[in-house]
Amino acid sequence: MAEDGSIGEGPIIRVSTSGKNRIRGREVLHAAREPTASIPIVEVGPTGIRELEPLILATYQGETAFYPQCSLMRVRDLVVALDDGSLPTKGAMAVTEHDPDTATLPTPDEGTFALGHRRVLDRSGWVVPANTHDYVASEDFLAATAADRADEWLSTLQDVSLRGRGRGDGACDTPVVDAWSTVQTVRDERESEPVVVVNANEADPNAEMDRLLLESNPLAVLDAALAVARIIGATNLLVYLNENEDLARDRVNEAAAELTNKVGADIPIEAIAGPNEYKAGEMTMAIEALEGNHRLEARLRPPFPTEEGLYGRPTLIHTPRTLAQIRSLFANGGDTIGTGSDPGTRLVTVVGDIETPLTLELPTDETLSVVKQAVDLDGRPKAACVGGVFGGVTRSLDVPIHMNALTAANLGTNGVVELFGQNRCMLSVVGNRASFAEKENCGRCFPCRGGTQQLASMLRDIYDGAFDAEKIRELLGTMRRSSICQFGQDAQRPVATAMNEFESEFRAHAEGYCPNDVCIQT
Amino acid sequence: MDSDPIWDDAHDTTGTEPIWKKSRRVREGQVEINAVLATGTATDPDVTSDETTTITVDGQSITLEPSSTVLDGVAEADTNESVPALCSYQKDDRIGPRSACRTCMVESDEYGLIPSCSFPAREGMDIQTDTPTASETRDVNLDLVLGGHNLLCTTCGKNGRCELQEVSIENEVEHPRYGVVHDNEELEPIDESSPFIQIDRNKCILCNRCVEACNDVQVAGVLRMEGQAGDMRIGFQNGAETMMGSTCISCGHCVTVCPTGALVEQNLVEAATLPVPGFTHSNSVGKTMGEEYTSRPRRMTPMYTEEHTEAEPKIDEQTDSIWQYSDNE
Ligand code: SF4
Ligand code: SF4
Ligand code: SF4
Ligand code: FES
Repeated sequence: MAEDGSIGEGPIIRVSTSGKNRIRGREVLHAAREPTASIPIVEVGPTGIRELEPLILATYQGETAFYPQCSLMRVRDLVVALDDGSLPTKGAMAVTEHDPDTATLPTPDEGTFALGHRRVLDRSGWVVPANTHDYVASEDFLAATAADRADEWLSTLQDVSLRGRGRGDGACDTPVVDAWSTVQTVRDERESEPVVVVNANEADPNAEMDRLLLESNPLAVLDAALAVARIIGATNLLVYLNENEDLARDRVNEAAAELTNKVGADIPIEAIAGPNEYKAGEMTMAIEALEGNHRLEARLRPPFPTEEGLYGRPTLIHTPRTLAQIRSLFANGGDTIGTGSDPGTRLVTVVGDIETPLTLELPTDETLSVVKQAVDLDGRPKAACVGGVFGGVTRSLDVPIHMNALTAANLGTNGVVELFGQNRCMLSVVGNRASFAEKENCGRCFPCRGGTQQLASMLRDIYDGAFDAEKIRELLGTMRRSSICQFGQDAQRPVATAMNEFESEFRAHAEGYCPNDVCIQT
Repeated sequence: MDSDPIWDDAHDTTGTEPIWKKSRRVREGQVEINAVLATGTATDPDVTSDETTTITVDGQSITLEPSSTVLDGVAEADTNESVPALCSYQKDDRIGPRSACRTCMVESDEYGLIPSCSFPAREGMDIQTDTPTASETRDVNLDLVLGGHNLLCTTCGKNGRCELQEVSIENEVEHPRYGVVHDNEELEPIDESSPFIQIDRNKCILCNRCVEACNDVQVAGVLRMEGQAGDMRIGFQNGAETMMGSTCISCGHCVTVCPTGALVEQNLVEAATLPVPGFTHSNSVGKTMGEEYTSRPRRMTPMYTEEHTEAEPKIDEQTDSIWQYSDNE
């Protein structure tokens, strides 16, 4: 089935699900294959909008009908109708017209699909993941021409100044070209062989971005990684995954084998799964895990992994999110969107007090308030935590999502926006995060291990009437300034920002009541 | 010799060991042995300078040899403020820097606040020890160290020769802002099992010196770090619960380097304590592990000969990988 991929002019049924809804998706897929029909029925990856899954995309003569949460009965009917030469549209959430052999998802102009700009997600939910026919349907492998075009790409990257995405990236929020040139310099100076690590172990269940890319279009990530590896002269490419994410792992393995077949095996690609622990995504703990340590803790820096990383070799670490931006930049001939200081798009998973999380792709000059249009929230959100578990708490989503604006607002860049409804207690929200940090840190440095312990206990003391804002702030500053790694540096942020925005709520608890009746029932 | 022998066959994918099964990197000047040393600690990069550098510390110009850190300069200068640098061990370059306590933070013009013990000295750096942020950070961190410590000096075998005590006196700590551990319920039992060394983890500041002394200097492979976050503690590579069950050869190196009363020679356990009748270090904590040692002490623990380590890689062998994948194609 679909050995040749899904891109073509004929009628076809696509079943789109993420790893989270895979079981349901497989049922629908089997049901679709029950009627004897000659049309292809393929499984594709997620679109990012999880509440629609399993989503059926029925395509006939340049028209595609979208059927969300498709029942087994409906999918059988669809297959039969399509096989008979018609496209039923009754009950479809949308019908779009497109080039019959388009290689990108023909998104509807209305609803959630119309929000943002699907640049790196252009093929997610449309192509058969890991299928090279689909992948090259409109453009060639980057890796195939990487060696010839290295100089051209390096100068593009220099001009555009693309920044790394995600907490596990070796160039998080800094220009990726700097990391590349450090690796190249060290390679020449020490005559050592660089390594490229794709850090896809993001154990924060809310951060869907990397998983989404690997499940829906793993070739884009690996192709970019291989192209980068060739440009910087790496001799190994490792994909570091999360042990619990089976679908992403399978697809990466499949894509790696396909890619090696098509563009050569000069650089071995190995996919390795690490522990499902938040700290294991930190860039140096990722290296520790890959080196086979039985216990994970952060390494000192500087020198950074770009100079001395895996087995002492210069190591370039990028997340799938960064690699997808790189691919999109080069595939578009160096054109990009967003702001000049932080060009491109960002993937944002919206979670919190909403029914189903969803992931949007937003150009960096858009503001976060777009996410409100994407979700069904009772009234205005009270606050949001921006940037993942250790993101910053804000009342306003009127913040552009480029690095400078996010940092200036003391928000995180790790791409998760958690919305809180009006009746959430902010002290309990950040208290939970402090105790997560207290339990999950590696233990190496005092500002983090001791700091999170004291922080959690000072927050608990608020319930006994002791709220010493100055003492808490002093501790938060020390954690931020002197922790070894990003874990401890960021762990203070939820409390620091919540205290700025909701200090009165903290005080109320010290006086014995919870303004939202969440943690102290009155 | 090739700079990186582990990777000689990196291109030959058929039949080679997967990358994560290769042994750990051996640092320059470190003994290469066959035994697996599973210290549980990260393999840090070299954090010292490559060349001779001149840096300024509190206005004084200091020239440092290659392989120096900023702390070497701070130690040489007459600084405006005291920099405790509690966990660093300046005597033996095979130990540390561990950079755990962060009581060595100083301000640098170019890089902001940095841990001096583990930051390479770089030409032209301008270091200040007395900016408000630097002092506050060192101060808070010292109190964080004390906050996890059973500060009962009067019954401690290291009383009067303890680096933590010394540093606290020097920095005029009177009331550590996060208190100290005094609740007996929270204390771990004292390991009295070895006739040579007493372990009181309630006094351990996790500076890792003992682990490095045991592994990198003695190459005995006994001690390791285990656990994470608040559960982190020194343990034994063979998984033993007590020192006597470990593979210790009682060389005593770990005790020599320990900055606190966490590791004390058994015969000195009460040497420095106040003579209060019936009140000892062990019964101040109340709980001990290990039998009272009655037979004649031998040099090694009974476990010594057994080759056994509990330390398995975090990544298990079942990991899918493409060399398995390409096998069945
Ligand atoms: S900041 Fe936290 S996680 Fe990072 S090294 Fe320090 S203790 Fe470990
Ligand atoms: S006394 Fe035992 S534990 Fe200590 S360094 Fe020697 S062998 Fe290691
Ligand atoms: S026992 Fe002593 S040397 Fe070992 S980590 Fe603890 S304080 Fe440091
Ligand atoms: S002396 Fe630098 S961190 Fe302890």
